[in-house]
Amino acid sequence: MSAHRIMFWQIEYTWLFYLLSAIAVLLFLIGAGSHIWVWKKNSKSMSLKGVGHALNKMCIDIITGRRLIRGDMAAGLMHFLIFWGFFLLFIGTCVLVAHEHLFEFLEGARYLWFSVLMEIGGISLLVGIIWGLVRRYLQRVPRLERRAEDAILPLWFVLMVLSGFFLEGARLAANSPQWADWSFVGNWIAGLIPAAAAERLYPSFWWVHALLCLGFISVVCYSKMFHILSAPASIFFSSASPVLPPSIEDETGRLDVAEAVFYDGCMRCGRCVAACPSSGAGEAYAPRDFVQWARKQMWQTQFPLNDIRLWNRGDYEGTNESMWYCTTCRACLEVCPVYGAAFEAVAKERRQAVEKGTLVPTILNQTLEKLFRYDNPWESSKKQRGAWAEGLDIADLTKRGAVTDLCYFVGCTTSFDDRARSIAHSFTKILQLTGVNFGILGKKEPCCGDIARRVGEFGLFEEQKEKCKTLFDQYGITEIATSSPHCYHTLANDYPDSSFRARHYTMVLKELLKNKKLSFEKPLNVTVTYHDPCYLGRHNRIFNEPRDVIRAIPGLRLVEMEHSRENSLCCGGGGGRMWQDLKGERKMSEVRLEEAEATGAQILITACPMCLIMMEDARKAAGTREGFRVMDLNELLLEALENK
Amino acid sequence: MTELNIIICVKQIPDPEAPLSDVSIDAENLEVVVDAPQVISPFDENALEAAIQLKEELDGKVTVLSMGKKLSDSVLRKALAAGADELILLEDNGFEKLDSHSTATVLAAAIKKIGSFDLVLAGRQAGDWDSGQVGLILGEMLGLPCISLAREITVEDGSVIVKKTVPEGYERVKAKLPALITVSNEVGELRYISRTRMLKMMRGGDIPAWTAEEIGVSDDAIEKMNIASLTTPPDMTRDCQFLEGSPDQQAAALVDVFVSLR
Amino acid sequence: MKEVLILGEVKDASLDPRILELLGAGKKLTEASGDKLSVLLMGDRVEDVAEAAASYGPDSVYKIEHPLLERFNADLWLAALEQACAEIKPSILLMSHSFIGMELGPRLAYRLDSRLTTDCIDLTIDSEDGRLLGTKPVSGGNAICVFKCAGQTQMVTVRGNVFPPAESGNAGGAIASINVTIDKSMSRLESLEIVEEDTVALDKANVVISGGAGLGDEDGFEMLEELAEALGKSFGSVMVGCSRMAVDKGWMSSDHQIGLTGTIIAPDIYVAVGISGAIQHLVGMVHSKKIIAINTDPSCNIFKVADYGIVEDFEQVVPALIKRLEEVL
Repeated sequence: MSAHRIMFWQIEYTWLFYLLSAIAVLLFLIGAGSHIWVWKKNSKSMSLKGVGHALNKMCIDIITGRRLIRGDMAAGLMHFLIFWGFFLLFIGTCVLVAHEHLFEFLEGARYLWFSVLMEIGGISLLVGIIWGLVRRYLQRVPRLERRAEDAILPLWFVLMVLSGFFLEGARLAANSPQWADWSFVGNWIAGLIPAAAAERLYPSFWWVHALLCLGFISVVCYSKMFHILSAPASIFFSSASPVLPPSIEDETGRLDVAEAVFYDGCMRCGRCVAACPSSGAGEAYAPRDFVQWARKQMWQTQFPLNDIRLWNRGDYEGTNESMWYCTTCRACLEVCPVYGAAFEAVAKERRQAVEKGTLVPTILNQTLEKLFRYDNPWESSKKQRGAWAEGLDIADLTKRGAVTDLCYFVGCTTSFDDRARSIAHSFTKILQLTGVNFGILGKKEPCCGDIARRVGEFGLFEEQKEKCKTLFDQYGITEIATSSPHCYHTLANDYPDSSFRARHYTMVLKELLKNKKLSFEKPLNVTVTYHDPCYLGRHNRIFNEPRDVIRAIPGLRLVEMEHSRENSLCCGGGGGRMWQDLKGERKMSEVRLEEAEATGAQILITACPMCLIMMEDARKAAGTREGFRVMDLNELLLEALENK
Repeated sequence: MTELNIIICVKQIPDPEAPLSDVSIDAENLEVVVDAPQVISPFDENALEAAIQLKEELDGKVTVLSMGKKLSDSVLRKALAAGADELILLEDNGFEKLDSHSTATVLAAAIKKIGSFDLVLAGRQAGDWDSGQVGLILGEMLGLPCISLAREITVEDGSVIVKKTVPEGYERVKAKLPALITVSNEVGELRYISRTRMLKMMRGGDIPAWTAEEIGVSDDAIEKMNIASLTTPPDMTRDCQFLEGSPDQQAAALVDVFVSLR
Repeated sequence: MKEVLILGEVKDASLDPRILELLGAGKKLTEASGDKLSVLLMGDRVEDVAEAAASYGPDSVYKIEHPLLERFNADLWLAALEQACAEIKPSILLMSHSFIGMELGPRLAYRLDSRLTTDCIDLTIDSEDGRLLGTKPVSGGNAICVFKCAGQTQMVTVRGNVFPPAESGNAGGAIASINVTIDKSMSRLESLEIVEEDTVALDKANVVISGGAGLGDEDGFEMLEELAEALGKSFGSVMVGCSRMAVDKGWMSSDHQIGLTGTIIAPDIYVAVGISGAIQHLVGMVHSKKIIAINTDPSCNIFKVADYGIVEDFEQVVPALIKRLEEVL
């Protein structure tokens, strides 16, 4: 007799099983349908593009778990075991159903292979789940929460797997088929069960296992387990229907479909919390909590039955008050397994706060007023904007007859801040030394609107955008170099259909280097480390240009900090934080400065006026090693060029 | 009492935050020329916030009055965007550089024309001339109980209870409505008015403007400020002696200065 | 003969020091014109205070004593003052630009059908028409305006710490009582409670150490408190103040604010730490006898009005300073 299994062996009331199955599946479908309904209801009309690519990415992410392994091998392997274990068992169950109701094929070798795979699936799932429990409750990995469902669901899994193995063991103990060795776990358990009791126990085991599994199917859509559907969906939509720059016409509170799906796809893994510089500095903000709050908010406002989740219903209230902490540094998105941008969720909430008006913090309120009236967040006057350039023989593009190849967009902070002005001085000096034909917009230069956009004042952002575009058109400006990665990001990404090309100065310097315009006479014997500004690195992937320029300086040694490139830590000045007074246990800039000092470098190089100010302030406050300096890349480069 | 009727007087002034370099003095025409946009005077914004909060809490109506020779719609509509129900401009060629008494005369006339009200609010002083008189004179003219320097305003049972700043701390006082209250910055800053909200308000209907004649103020009832001269502030500069050296040396030098001043 | 009347304030049953400044201002006016100078005091019992006031040499001292005047009540004081002015008919009424002066001034001006100039830093008499000229900073201190006072009674409130206080002179000014008719019903405000707060009498301090935006956070003010303590051992009353930025940022409460919309002070020594020197702030402290500034930016305004400057980060200098002060003083 070839290897096989008798379906519903010893089981009575199979009709009851089918009824319960139908109910479980119905609950599942209702739950899944509700999600789709809420997503659709709360989202702007969506348009899909690059569906093939998105599906491909989704499948690879699911199958390999690469997004989870990256950055946390232990967690990645744990999830890999759970995923594949669960997946094998799920497929196995489907195969059994097909075997029973469509055509019988599980016989002989096929059945033996099937048995082995089921054993592997069960073991894999069990090991993964127990590992997960150990990580959460014994190792107490800081980023993990310990809420009710975090214990209930894994224990449920453990019971499902164990009941499955015991059921199998009882069956093997009772029947002792000659192929029992293939089911190596079940057969081992069979040895523990007396043959006489096995047949009596078997139906009980069977029903316990069945009820656990059907119960699980029922709660999937009502718990964090829904991520088995929403996480792939989030990965798909993040690519096929990316979050669009918000438009002024958007109804406040409306989401992009990718956001809605992401909120439900978040399974509270807390990778974002571990990566978030604000959370890291002990501030009262955690991206995960914010996303959970946003998810709850979405359900409470869009779903007639309130939150669909069974657990954690009362949690995360008032989390939105922490929204002003976010520096929009993008570290959360960098590590999110489902490509969710918590900082965009923050921007949405900030927009609502700005429209309401009463929740806007005082200094930010004043700053936005100032920005509107004076085109800059620093000074109650436009007049001093071009003052740094007086006597430097720099063409003013707004003056008659001035035509140049490049418009240097100085930006507010570089124009007004005492420390940051040196960026403008050194960069323009380098441009002059290398013979670049450039000009500035003098006191007519507007604010690009970055701050307005980041703090959620989209109306003001639109106005600044129009001002800039009009001015660029008026003076025929097509090539722009910015001091600030923030201006660069805004001009390059938040100005759709623009008639100009915006670059950050590091890209211009790299071009000068490539064209052999930078020549150094003497080596500069220093060790430096480079701090990636968030809006240059993470947001725009400009990691190599600044490093190439730094490395071109002879004699200089570039060392990297513990966090660099896409893992760089924020200085704490972005997303409007420069104009706020929020506190945590530490300052983000001080945390960063410590990393810089730990490299043994003598100079910390930045490429952003805000980073420069923040790091310089941190240096003064922390009292670093004698001689430790914070410099802008231009300052360093100019020092090297003038080193004769 | 069904609903609260609040009248608030606000003044349009050049941005008091403008740096010194943007301020010049026209000694001949006795004018301070500020090269800055017009805004609502800061303490008046505080008063506006207080008024709107009262309205949100108790239901009612907030009417904003502003007086001047030439007023800017776009500046004052901010009050509407913030949540005020009605804006009335008091515009007349004669309403220029009026002294405090005359300003109060014009406002009182307008308030009488409006008729009924429960509260009149004003900022404690305007951000340009810093006189701090109009509110209190207005209260006298209207024969109202006057409460100055309010930090917190609550209304219940036909009375107003105000936490007002006094030298020792604060005092809670109670007065029957209607009453006049001058508001200090402690009541809180005016909520942020987003540009979208402001632009929506800019497209709103016409703003009524009343002339002197319409409110029954004759020319001889008002006087201009009697300014004898207007000058730049005297030179405040001193010769600063910079103490050089390392922080320790600087500290030591400064201690020597302290010792010499003891 | 014309009469210059000073409204005297009583504090803790003694003469408010501000009266001496008003007497100084009043003397300056009457010495030139030969007018009569008198002081008006109000309260429950003000006999002792009246005698103290008389010792500074006014031509006369009026006292209004009434149980209802024990505590300041604007409505009752106003009624009493109105009646007194009707009797005295002063040509000039000087008040301090204090809480009481700011509250009574505008309302009394209305009742006397007069005009008031507030917050004067100088008083002169127009040589042509003999009217009082009140000098007042306007536009946040960016301009100085001279107003000509109008009305039967020319009224001004005078800024503190500007006029040199009068020195005790030939006493002998007669003390006269004025009777007023006031009753409780005149008060339209009911006082429910007065809550005392730790008020900061910055204008009474000998030394004020003031912090601004440059401190970075409220911890910086703890350092200033330590410095105040170190200086307190040899300078008497040393207090910590701040700029408006520090109040806006929530580091200090607004009663610590020095400047046009805060307290205007003129201590013996003013130490500005991390303050760049916006005009509103400068107006509030520029009359200090000695000004010391610590700031990282050598070009900022505060150094322009300072006697001594240190261009360095305060976190480097202040601890060194505290240490050194503890050794030396």
